[in-house]
Amino acid sequence: MAAATGIVTAADLRGGSARRRREAVIRRAFGLAAGVSIVISGLIIVALIGHAIDFLRQIRFSWLFADGWFARRNEFSIPTLAVGSLLVGGVAMLIAAPLGLGSAIYLAEYARPAHRRALKPIIELLAGIPSIVVGFFALTVISPDVVQKLFSSATFFNLMAAGIGVGILSTPLVATVAEDALRAVPRSLREGAYGLGARRRTTSMRVVVPAATSGIAAALILGLSRAVGETMVVLMVAGGTGGSTFTFNILGPGQTATGAMAALAIGSDQVKGASAAFASLFFVGLLLFVVTFTLNVVSERYVRRARRHG
Amino acid sequence: MKMNRSIRWSVVAAALLAIVAAGCSSKSDTSTSGTAGGTGMTGSVDVSGSSTVLPISQLVAENFSNDNADAQVSVDGPGTGDGFVLFCEGKTDINDASRQIEPEEAKACKQAGVNYVAMEIGLDGITVMTNPANSQITCLNDGDLYALFGPQSEGFGSWSDANALAAKVGGKGNFPDEPLSIVAPGEESGTYDSFIDLAGIEDTAIEQGVPEDKAAALRADYQSSPNDSVIIQGIEGSNSSLGFVGFAYADQQGDQIDKVQIDGGDGCVEPSADTIRDGSYPLSRSLYIYVNTDKVASNPTLKSFVDYYMSDAGIAAVTDADYVAIPSERLDASRQTWTNAEGGGSASPSA
Amino acid sequence: MIARDVTTGVVASGIRTGKRDWSGVTFACVLLATLLVSLGILVALLWDVVKRGAPVLADRGVDFLTAGPSSSVSQAGVGLALAGSLVMMVIVAVIALPIGVGAAIYLEEYARDTWLTRLIAANVRNLAGVPSIVYGILGLVLFVDFLNRIINIRDTGSLLSGGLTLSALVLPIVIITTSEALRAVPKSLREAAFGVGATRWEVIRHHVLPAAAPGIVTGTVVSLARAFGETAPLLFVGAVRGFFSTGNATFLEKLFTSGYTALPIQILFWSTVPNPEFKSLAAAGIVVMMVILLAVNGIAIWLRNRYERTW
Repeated sequence: MAAATGIVTAADLRGGSARRRREAVIRRAFGLAAGVSIVISGLIIVALIGHAIDFLRQIRFSWLFADGWFARRNEFSIPTLAVGSLLVGGVAMLIAAPLGLGSAIYLAEYARPAHRRALKPIIELLAGIPSIVVGFFALTVISPDVVQKLFSSATFFNLMAAGIGVGILSTPLVATVAEDALRAVPRSLREGAYGLGARRRTTSMRVVVPAATSGIAAALILGLSRAVGETMVVLMVAGGTGGSTFTFNILGPGQTATGAMAALAIGSDQVKGASAAFASLFFVGLLLFVVTFTLNVVSERYVRRARRHG
Repeated sequence: MKMNRSIRWSVVAAALLAIVAAGCSSKSDTSTSGTAGGTGMTGSVDVSGSSTVLPISQLVAENFSNDNADAQVSVDGPGTGDGFVLFCEGKTDINDASRQIEPEEAKACKQAGVNYVAMEIGLDGITVMTNPANSQITCLNDGDLYALFGPQSEGFGSWSDANALAAKVGGKGNFPDEPLSIVAPGEESGTYDSFIDLAGIEDTAIEQGVPEDKAAALRADYQSSPNDSVIIQGIEGSNSSLGFVGFAYADQQGDQIDKVQIDGGDGCVEPSADTIRDGSYPLSRSLYIYVNTDKVASNPTLKSFVDYYMSDAGIAAVTDADYVAIPSERLDASRQTWTNAEGGGSASPSA
Repeated sequence: MIARDVTTGVVASGIRTGKRDWSGVTFACVLLATLLVSLGILVALLWDVVKRGAPVLADRGVDFLTAGPSSSVSQAGVGLALAGSLVMMVIVAVIALPIGVGAAIYLEEYARDTWLTRLIAANVRNLAGVPSIVYGILGLVLFVDFLNRIINIRDTGSLLSGGLTLSALVLPIVIITTSEALRAVPKSLREAAFGVGATRWEVIRHHVLPAAAPGIVTGTVVSLARAFGETAPLLFVGAVRGFFSTGNATFLEKLFTSGYTALPIQILFWSTVPNPEFKSLAAAGIVVMMVILLAVNGIAIWLRNRYERTW
């Protein structure tokens, strides 16, 4: 459609209207796809809040601070679940932090490229193990052969075994994020330290690690978030499927938020009555969602800070 | 780009392969059917309810499926109470029950318009268990059970704490000073209700002055679980543990657990198939199936399934699953109930 | 940071004595030990599982892979569970992959850097961190209860419900991995295509996507592997743990109205049943699952190594 003068303008290059219309349609289609993720978030929040309000309307406030979590007896002790989740998360981080950070520092600072290529798959393999497999391992090995052997007063179902299992699952996450953070530290910082005569350990621990603090903090927070959100290991080995009294004893059975939710699914399987017991599922789910959401947002702040300073 | 296209095709091919594989493999689901008999039923049957009765119904379902490979049967065991909720909402066809239906549940069924019939199909004995290392405990009576499990025992952390209460309610007492770790079913389980009933917990509690609304309950601070396997593992895992499950589960564990004898007033009786059948074991109870009669009328597969259940071949599952068969007069009575309910079936009376 | 006298002292002693830095070596060993402990745990886990499960597989071989659930230890198998898992993977592939890749394309190629775009991106990252059990709740409310009002599916949840729930769970991961793959493609490629007059879609379709394809494929394979191993969400959408048979149901019936189960659920059931003999079946099921996961991840790594381009 060049003008008679033979000058090509931008209008000519834009192509036929059919082509442009097709472009617009495709763009809108992709936009819709992106919108789906927002829809999903919205639905999750609506589903949780809606039924959680139902639950709160059905119960008496004192029930939330009963002696334990026994959903069928209308005892919905949130502190029991909170303490349980914290204990499991705490034990998990006691495992995941040293293993994850140690591996990360080694892979980032010490391992030669050839070694790194050989050793990194260990972490990747660990990351690929589904939680049900670790749950089975906790049931058949961790609890009887590790926890009960070390602590004679431990019952078969205990929070410590659950914590160890969850720690195994969190380790790869901590290791990967921490390693990324360490590798992001610019070489110049290391070279400066070496130039001053520092040896490798000093460089790593006094220069690189502090420089990567934000990233490492993000790794630990993400690890904790994963630990708190883990279900299968807790369901299989923490022993709280029928309920649990308020306890700080990690050598005995207990219940976490995720375990309580799953127990309601299995025990109250298919029972979708208007009973408060089933509705508690949504309330606990909402609390869990808020907690993990907060942890993830905080961890993102740290990642952004790392990117800014690094 | 060529690589792009070949990846796309391989994904499509893999997907088709998966669909075909899924379609094909599901044909040979349960096992190759030896008996080419059966009526070739094609409908569906949904069974839920007691986890105690689950092994029996499951075996019946499997045998039924062998003869009727086209039928769709599913069996689940969330607990008698949960099962009744589903049953009285009309969501399941059969409810397995380790106790009889309670008045509130019957009312719920009536309000929802669910008509049913109940048949006794087998016997179970609630077996109280402890760890083999706890050799001092061999026999307990109702008073002992109350002192250890009852509503007034909350807080008793060791066996000896219960001695005083045991003495008060006529128990033998004399418990050792060992940690009392209890793992037992919870309120969603029919076994829980049966235990309270058979051990006379409610009466003893009322005698002791426990308010009525709390009398028919066990202490609230033990580790309860709807999962019998959790209970068994809890018993095996602690030296001075205590708990109870259905007889079949306990019997399967062999020497891993110790079955406690129960003294119902006539001496200590060991739970066994014989003592349960003749009633000498105090904690014996009946197992039932509740069938939705409206659904029977409209679902020939369901009718055929219950016919099979009540037949000799079907009811053999009770003993196959390590439970105890009911005496033949009661089996005849159950069969008669079924025949009356569905107006002439093909269940044959025992010879 | 580093004390002056420490550094000069160290340099001085290093030059003077040539002594070995033992504490440094120990430290390095401690760090390596943490890595080896992780390896040890991995090996112990796999060893325990294989030890328990291999005899079952050796004994029963293919029969274990095709038989359905049964209350008899010698007859039960993972056949129906595998079929259920496979069909759900296909559903995830058909639903989550197109939507995920499409969303990533939009975020990386089309969207301008507005608050909305940043919100969507942040939202995707948050969804990726939501515990899987919360997706189970979403599945229950949306893909079982709500879906039941529109079409006739099984009251407690069907294969379709399970597949859709897993799709929602995996979607954020697909978006994130695809975004990373797209970002890795250098701008110069796009600019060259624009320079010769291509429209945006043509640039994406003919240049960016083919270049990012290895990364996208690897990412989707990883997502599918993740969905394959998920257990918790399926508990809420009706996966059967006990016995069931699908009889002569047609494929569509199996999708909508029949009972179903998945491999991880079957393993969970066998692990927690009172009869202790089922534990070896559970281990055998885990071996099958790990073999499939290893194969799938292996293919992903092979694809990545073979087709990956460095720019």
